[in-house]
Amino acid sequence: MTAVVGADEVRSAPRAGAPSSYTVTDLGVVPPLGGLYVKGAMGSVTKRPRAGVVLPRVVYRVADVDTTGVAAHLADYQGVVGEPVSDVLPAGFLHVLTFPLATAVMVRPDFPLGLLGMVHLRNTARVFRPVGVGDRLEIRAWAEHARAHRRGVQVDLVAEAFAGGVPVYRGVSTYLAKGFSVRDGASTPSEWAGPDRAASEGALPGREVPDGAMPDRAADGAGRPASRAPWVPPLPTARWRLPRSIGPEYGAVSGDRNPIHMSALGAKAFGFPRAIAHGMYTAARALAEVGPARRGDAYEWTAEFFKPVLLPGSVDVAIRYASDAGAGAAPAVGPEGGFVYDAWRAGRTTRHLTGTVTPL
Amino acid sequence: MASSIPTTREAVIIGGNRIPFARAGKKYVRTSNQDMFTAALEGLVARFGLQGELLGEVVGGAVLKNSRDFNLIRESVLGSSLAPATPAYDLQQACGTGLEAAIAVTNKIKLGQIESAVAGGTDTISDAPIAVGDKLRRALLQANHARSTGDRIKALLPVLGHPKWLAPETPDTGEPRTGLSMGEHQAITTAKWGITREAQDEIALRSHQNLYRAWEEGFFDDLVTPFRGLSRDDNLRGDTSAEKLAKLKPVFGRGLTGDDGAPLPATMTAGNSTPLTDGASAVLFGSRDWAEERNLPVLAKFVDAETAGVDFVHGHEGLLMAPAAAVPRLLARHGLTLEDIDFFEIHEAFAATVLTTLAAWEDEDYCRDELGLPGAFGKVDRSRLNVNGSSLAAGHPFAATGGRIVATAAKLVHAKAAETGKPARALISVCAAGGLGVTALVESA
Repeated sequence: MTAVVGADEVRSAPRAGAPSSYTVTDLGVVPPLGGLYVKGAMGSVTKRPRAGVVLPRVVYRVADVDTTGVAAHLADYQGVVGEPVSDVLPAGFLHVLTFPLATAVMVRPDFPLGLLGMVHLRNTARVFRPVGVGDRLEIRAWAEHARAHRRGVQVDLVAEAFAGGVPVYRGVSTYLAKGFSVRDGASTPSEWAGPDRAASEGALPGREVPDGAMPDRAADGAGRPASRAPWVPPLPTARWRLPRSIGPEYGAVSGDRNPIHMSALGAKAFGFPRAIAHGMYTAARALAEVGPARRGDAYEWTAEFFKPVLLPGSVDVAIRYASDAGAGAAPAVGPEGGFVYDAWRAGRTTRHLTGTVTPL
Repeated sequence: MASSIPTTREAVIIGGNRIPFARAGKKYVRTSNQDMFTAALEGLVARFGLQGELLGEVVGGAVLKNSRDFNLIRESVLGSSLAPATPAYDLQQACGTGLEAAIAVTNKIKLGQIESAVAGGTDTISDAPIAVGDKLRRALLQANHARSTGDRIKALLPVLGHPKWLAPETPDTGEPRTGLSMGEHQAITTAKWGITREAQDEIALRSHQNLYRAWEEGFFDDLVTPFRGLSRDDNLRGDTSAEKLAKLKPVFGRGLTGDDGAPLPATMTAGNSTPLTDGASAVLFGSRDWAEERNLPVLAKFVDAETAGVDFVHGHEGLLMAPAAAVPRLLARHGLTLEDIDFFEIHEAFAATVLTTLAAWEDEDYCRDELGLPGAFGKVDRSRLNVNGSSLAAGHPFAATGGRIVATAAKLVHAKAAETGKPARALISVCAAGGLGVTALVESA
């Protein structure tokens, strides 16, 4: 687990801004998510798996997002994920604010991958300085780094926020589109020209990538490399009892009203036995449980998703000092060195997610 | 280290009184915290002839309170035969409440701010508060703040759409930040330290045997006042045996996995875990002069106390392990070691809590890395441990436990000193929710 997170770190750490070949398209306002979903669902029909995925070289930008009006929305969000009520926007809320812009990129006709059935594999977010209610933000989003996954193509949706021209937030959401492939089984130089390309490509072939998708159960086990040792859960530090209502509740504060989260019926339509919790809800709750006091003003928050949490459900959680979790890279012993979290099905070994919260 | 303690006068323990502890839902049904604390207080007043007496202060609390229980201790004083001019206040430190109350009043006595005081606590599971959920509560508050009938109806409308909001919330022993019950937390600590089922059952058995013997010998005759048809703690099983305890099914710690991926055994049962209980206790303290002027007995000095907290939230330490950190600091301040202690009163939240505490003190790495000691803190002589029983047998009405233990410890050191002609010491250790530990040192006077 540590090695995986470590690889992610190396890959995303030094980059900032979109690749230089991209052009900026200004949108006046952040588009509403509901309409994007409809467009995404419709567009998915025509986006057939094929070889040679090429991403649109475009950056969507909204130059002035006024956060003065988000106070009530923020309080609702904080209540749902367990953050203390405050006027500072947690990284998860910044993800929620920028998510529609990233979605707008994904529903473009020239975005080659279908929105429906895309699996959120992992998420890395960094808050460089605190963003408060009332701050005016410029936000940007684009897609980059399409690359091979043994079950398709994975792609990074990057969102950045700036306040007064200074970067305050950067989020990288990695999605898997099953069935698609990229040329030569790796990212194409024209699409990906980040400074750490060599490192990332070097890290890719041997890298273990989780099975993110539950509906595709046939791939579980059979699709795993035989050498992979079974995951052993640590001793828990907490237990989450997640009610059925948490799907719609997080759906309401995040705008992500994907039917798989909203009702058992909606989930069944996509092959899940029951509604599933938003991965970002579980990650946001782990971030909240580390808490503002321990993560500090500037921090990195990562999440890697495995099997989804079926609702209602009990989840065993271990949120530990990185130094206690045996994370060799922990910069310091104790809470100052950041936190590692793991979540799995209560009393079992079915892994839901893992991640880190590290003060920067 | 000893020089860092400022010189103050002594605070002495004169005596204690409690009502028998009752298993939840039994003898003390329909009895409130205030009823129970008033009964314990009145018994104390009667025992020491304090009717009409103006005491310096009465301090205590309850962990589980109904909203009507604000000013609980003051209300109890007003309902007692103490002078109504006796001031009082509530405090709360989870299971450390009773002992913390003793620390608070003895500090005031030591500083000369008061001459006499009562400290104690009370708790009831049978009369525990039941609250409405946050969503219903918010709707009700909004309706309450509304100015017009229309607004009031608007505020209450969402309730109609969510009948689940009407479900009451009952208190439990779950930690707010982790969602794990105290038993589940202790089970994790128990597993980490590899404490066996047999060792826990042995602690439980001795607790029952010791408490039973103490009752039979009359030790509690001047420490307990019968209440509501109960004259002895009804959780006590004088006839329990290792065989009976061994038959009980584990209730905490199921589904834990070891480093090697193998399941860890669940070892904590209803027999080696403290049951939920109702009860109240009170202890009388004074300056030595105040006691002697009134010809009151002076059992012991309340010498000093130390509290600690641990970060259990992120699993670095066990929820109930804070006393392991507090005791070495307390003893160091007085230049004492575990060898110097005649009686160890370690609150048995769970048998495993006692055992993990003892194991921690014997562990060289733990004492060095976590407690900052040069090596292992030491070994507790088991024959000095909870010699007249503890919470596993007596029960544990959270805030009432401190008073039970302080009175027992004071009587024990008094008797030992009278027998040997030498000073005797007792160490009190109480673990508490929130990763807290409250410890105190009592010495024969």
